[in-house]
Amino acid sequence: MIGGRRPIQGRKPGDRRVRLERPHSPYFRYTGPGQLTAKEAASGPTTPTGRALAGVRGYLFGRPLASLEELGERLSKTKALAIFSSDAISSSAYATEEILRVLIFGGVAALALGVWVSLAISILLIAVAISYRQICIAYPTGGGSYTVSRRNIGRTVSLVAASALLIDYVMTVAVSTSSAVEQIVSAFPALFDERVLIGVAAITLIAIANLRGLREAGNIFAAPTYLFIGSALIMIAVGSFRIIVLGEGATYGPTVVAQLNETVQPLTALLLLRAFAAGAVALTGTEAIATGVPAFKPPEPRNAATTLAVMAGLLGVLFVGITFLAVNFAILPGKQTVIAQVAATVYGDGPAFYLFQIFTATLLFLAANTSFNAFPRLLAILAGDGYMPRQFALRGDRLAFSYGIIVLASLAALLIIAFRGSTHLLIPLYAVGVFIDFTISQTGMIRHWLRERTPGYQRRLAINAFGAILTGIVAVIVTAVKFWDGAWIVLVLIPILVALMSFIRRQYEAQEKELFVNDAGVLPGPHREQRVVIPVNGINRAVIQAVNFGRALAGDVRAVYVTDDLDKAESMRERWDRQLPDVPLVIVESPYRAVISPVVAYLDILDQAWPPDKEAPLTIVVLPEYVARHWWDRMLYNQTAKRLKAAIVGREHTVIADVPYRRGH
Amino acid sequence: MSDTHQPLFSRAVVALNGGPSDARIVRLVAEMARGSKAELIAIHVVEIDWTLPLDADIAGRDEEIQRVLDMAEQVAEESKLTLEPVLLQARDVGAAIIDESTERGADLLVVGLPYRKRFGGEFALGRTIPYILQNAPCAVWVVRDPIAEE
Repeated sequence: MIGGRRPIQGRKPGDRRVRLERPHSPYFRYTGPGQLTAKEAASGPTTPTGRALAGVRGYLFGRPLASLEELGERLSKTKALAIFSSDAISSSAYATEEILRVLIFGGVAALALGVWVSLAISILLIAVAISYRQICIAYPTGGGSYTVSRRNIGRTVSLVAASALLIDYVMTVAVSTSSAVEQIVSAFPALFDERVLIGVAAITLIAIANLRGLREAGNIFAAPTYLFIGSALIMIAVGSFRIIVLGEGATYGPTVVAQLNETVQPLTALLLLRAFAAGAVALTGTEAIATGVPAFKPPEPRNAATTLAVMAGLLGVLFVGITFLAVNFAILPGKQTVIAQVAATVYGDGPAFYLFQIFTATLLFLAANTSFNAFPRLLAILAGDGYMPRQFALRGDRLAFSYGIIVLASLAALLIIAFRGSTHLLIPLYAVGVFIDFTISQTGMIRHWLRERTPGYQRRLAINAFGAILTGIVAVIVTAVKFWDGAWIVLVLIPILVALMSFIRRQYEAQEKELFVNDAGVLPGPHREQRVVIPVNGINRAVIQAVNFGRALAGDVRAVYVTDDLDKAESMRERWDRQLPDVPLVIVESPYRAVISPVVAYLDILDQAWPPDKEAPLTIVVLPEYVARHWWDRMLYNQTAKRLKAAIVGREHTVIADVPYRRGH
Repeated sequence: MSDTHQPLFSRAVVALNGGPSDARIVRLVAEMARGSKAELIAIHVVEIDWTLPLDADIAGRDEEIQRVLDMAEQVAEESKLTLEPVLLQARDVGAAIIDESTERGADLLVVGLPYRKRFGGEFALGRTIPYILQNAPCAVWVVRDPIAEE
């Protein structure tokens, strides 16, 4: 009989059939000889509490996705431009302001130099972009600075690059979010006091969306970038027309000039350098396309390189254009962001201004979102290489690297709280890591071309060498002039992160070495002697079950009974010898009423009594346990067993075996 | 006009023989069922000869037999459909398929008929298909499917 099923009668007398149960069916699927594939039901929790939690998680983050459900959509150039360049292009929303905040110390005359500073930065941008185009072509599988430096330079440098990148990603989230909130506050000044709260809430929402497995491929992600680019280009065109053709440009009022002249510093090269370093933040995010080459439609490297060129061009135009308008409309950084003031001047106080602010804020949030994709992925790559805890390589229910997302969101939220949501205060920490990364990847590319020596490599080598020298110099400048503003934090963090990652790697290597098994030959069976020790509290069903289990494990089985009551001990002895005569019982009298320590001490003396010339035996401590029926009565049982387990866990040559007794056994 | 939008079937039984054409037949039916949200049932019958009792523990423990239905379920899932797998033991495959389809109120029964491409498309009709064609309570589709030549 199968499952007690009776045959079902068919239409004709002889036609009978039996319907078979398929108990594996809800949970597994046979996919090959001796091979099962787990279904969703087998991957879910089995306890009521677990199921309830999973229900809440499902509501918040969506149902679990199977690995096969990952989207493999390739991006067209127009879509990729929007998706990969939101980070870079969004920096035009705050880079101008950073320049003006420095130049303001040099008075009105210095502010006029803002355009020239932005032009210099744009030239740097072009150099970096040309240099990065080489990486797109050389690394069609994605050339982040970690990948490039790991292949071409070496372990430590690649870890420096990875650390700088990790810091960058956290900073991108913090800076973009705080700037987005500042754009909102510029449009709605009443929200000024709530900016930290809004920033943290926004990061939380972006994190939840990413934990749900948000993919950036949708049109919804392309729209804000184009809306911002479009409205900003219109703003620059209209503004420039009004300044150049209609001569509507403003000059700083006499009060402002007087105020500025009071605090004026001499217009030194240092001030210009500081302005340059501050504005260099415009270049952040330029590398995103080079790391995302595999997401492009074929031919991937060529399309990525073209997109990178277009992005650099657009960013340059936006950045110089916004700076030109800000300087010529005599705008000073204040409570309202510079870009908001420019927009208000060009678009007036109507709906166009509010729309522009919404587009800018959305683009900045989108820029923050790009890090939520990249940071966990980099952590996963590092975890795969053994430099980060392995949990970071695990994908959650929704195929997202959940741990990485949570770490990123927490760090960025902490930064926003610590820096009170001020973009200006956060920026000194930002550009340093970016330029260290640029320099390392360009240097890696020099080694790459020298090694590969593909036709025409000399030209490519020259481009990357120029890029490396240029970004190296800028890295030094940025670090030097922003050192006391916060750049030192990055310089301290990078070595700490490198040391931490090297330490993790060493730990994993040591573990691997320890667990290594030679792959030649047949592995021998067990050869160590085993003995069983069963701490008992009397004779009952749970103890008998444990004793029987112990008897199946070894010939040497003994029970240990700890008590401070001699009369009880005597009656226990009498009953034990009568009912379990073949299992020796050791009674440990404990006048100090301790239960755990005497058992541990007994195990110790057993070990010591073992002949030293023989290999130590494996001691299996079998613990009888009573399984509680409800979650609320669990604390009534097995407390001693739990304490005993805690005392002997990790003990040498010792294995703990729980033997649960369930009702009805 | 309205007839063209009527679904071809609302509950289809696909009889699987454990052969290489099973996957293609399930895929075919699943594709046709997709628009109409029709119910799909896959039946695999293990024939028990008279030397053993009908309820002998034969198919339940056999991974290969379980795999026939698991594969069908997987193919249906790929088309975003659910398929109910039914495993039967019977003395006569044809009778079991007919009885099960009748009991479940199927309006379509699909069976595969493998044939060799070589040797002029030779195939053996066997006992089961003629029995089904003669006794089925509903429409029957016989899918003549080529066997991959070694």
